[in-house]
Amino acid sequence: MGPFEVTFSAWEMDLTEAGGDTGEESWGDLLAAAQCGDGNAYRRLLTAATPFIRALARRRVHADDVVEDVVQEVLLTVHRVRHTYEPGRPVEPWLAAITSRRSIDALRRSSRVGARELHNPVAYETFAAPAANNIEASESAKTLARLMEELPPRQKEALELTKLREMSLAEASAASGQSVSSLKVNVHRAIKRLRVEAGKDQLE
Amino acid sequence: MIDRKTDALINDLSADAAPVKRLATPLMRAFATLAGLALFGLVAILLLPHADPLAMRGAGGEMQAGIELVAALLTGTLAVIAAFHVAIPGRSRGWLAVPLPALALWLGLSGLGCWRDIVRSGTSGWELGHSMDCLVFIVTASLVLGVPLAWRLSRAAPIDPLPVAALGGLGIAALSAFLLQFFHPFAVTFLDLAVHVVAVLIVMALASLLRRPMLRPA
Repeated sequence: MGPFEVTFSAWEMDLTEAGGDTGEESWGDLLAAAQCGDGNAYRRLLTAATPFIRALARRRVHADDVVEDVVQEVLLTVHRVRHTYEPGRPVEPWLAAITSRRSIDALRRSSRVGARELHNPVAYETFAAPAANNIEASESAKTLARLMEELPPRQKEALELTKLREMSLAEASAASGQSVSSLKVNVHRAIKRLRVEAGKDQLE
Repeated sequence: MIDRKTDALINDLSADAAPVKRLATPLMRAFATLAGLALFGLVAILLLPHADPLAMRGAGGEMQAGIELVAALLTGTLAVIAAFHVAIPGRSRGWLAVPLPALALWLGLSGLGCWRDIVRSGTSGWELGHSMDCLVFIVTASLVLGVPLAWRLSRAAPIDPLPVAALGGLGIAALSAFLLQFFHPFAVTFLDLAVHVVAVLIVMALASLLRRPMLRPA
């Protein structure tokens, strides 16, 4: 090991804290065996090293699904560059460098996506189904229905028949038994009262 | 806890664990590559016409020029060695600094020579001597020498190709500048030096731009 082999930068400072090679089976030996084509050793190494890789990835990337993507990309990269490991050297700095690189790639990718795409679920729903999601309109319809319930019965009946069911005054008179002139008066009073109540409601 | 997809990936990868040819140590690979490049340079010196053999100049006592030459060779050699180290995951970033003292010596001595040139011959030190020829020589030689170097470096599929490309570019440009001294009249003007620096920067920029196709990073 030469004078330039002390490699730890701040984030790699304590690789053992991330759960490095704990000694049951030396990762270096497993990786050296994997280089010679030992699939079992390779599987044991990757399984043992995955929590370590995941812990390192978590220091840079915070979203869980992205962390798992990074872990998988690290495993693929390990597979591609496994011939660069030099037996006898510690595996952790080698793995840490690969994980660091792939984490940075993931962060760059997500910042690129973030710069070009806008995540706004409300805006999305509003544009997709204009009739269903006009939130303000449905709110005011509910308010209006509540206010109508509070109207005196005759005023409510007059309003319903002439305005909601769109009957003529004569039809409404026949249906309700109210005279045409009392219907007119009740509709007028109902609307006036609703206006006052709705105004109060908005002020609250 | 291991994610199911990650688990499946581990199974796939270990099923595909074909034996791989392990890379030799970076130092060994750097020396082998440098030996190849030296052989190439030697052939070029023997085959190409050169008006002004180095030995004659050395005998003429151009001590400083000699040191300058050694500094360029040292810069190139150290940069190439550093590039092979940086290409391996987890090796120290300290390697990036290794060629810098030699680079400073090389450029400093050239600058000093040029300064004396200016003092001695006034503004004629600003004339563009054989500068364009030098620029073309350094860039061309770098391209020719750079291809085998990049091929050797790409064997490591460097995960972070930029520092590898920059160091490789510096190395190959410095070695080309060293080679240039065998074909170059020694009295460099101030602009000649600037042109050397520009040539080194051009080669480093080219190497950095071409890092992906040349180094095939993983």
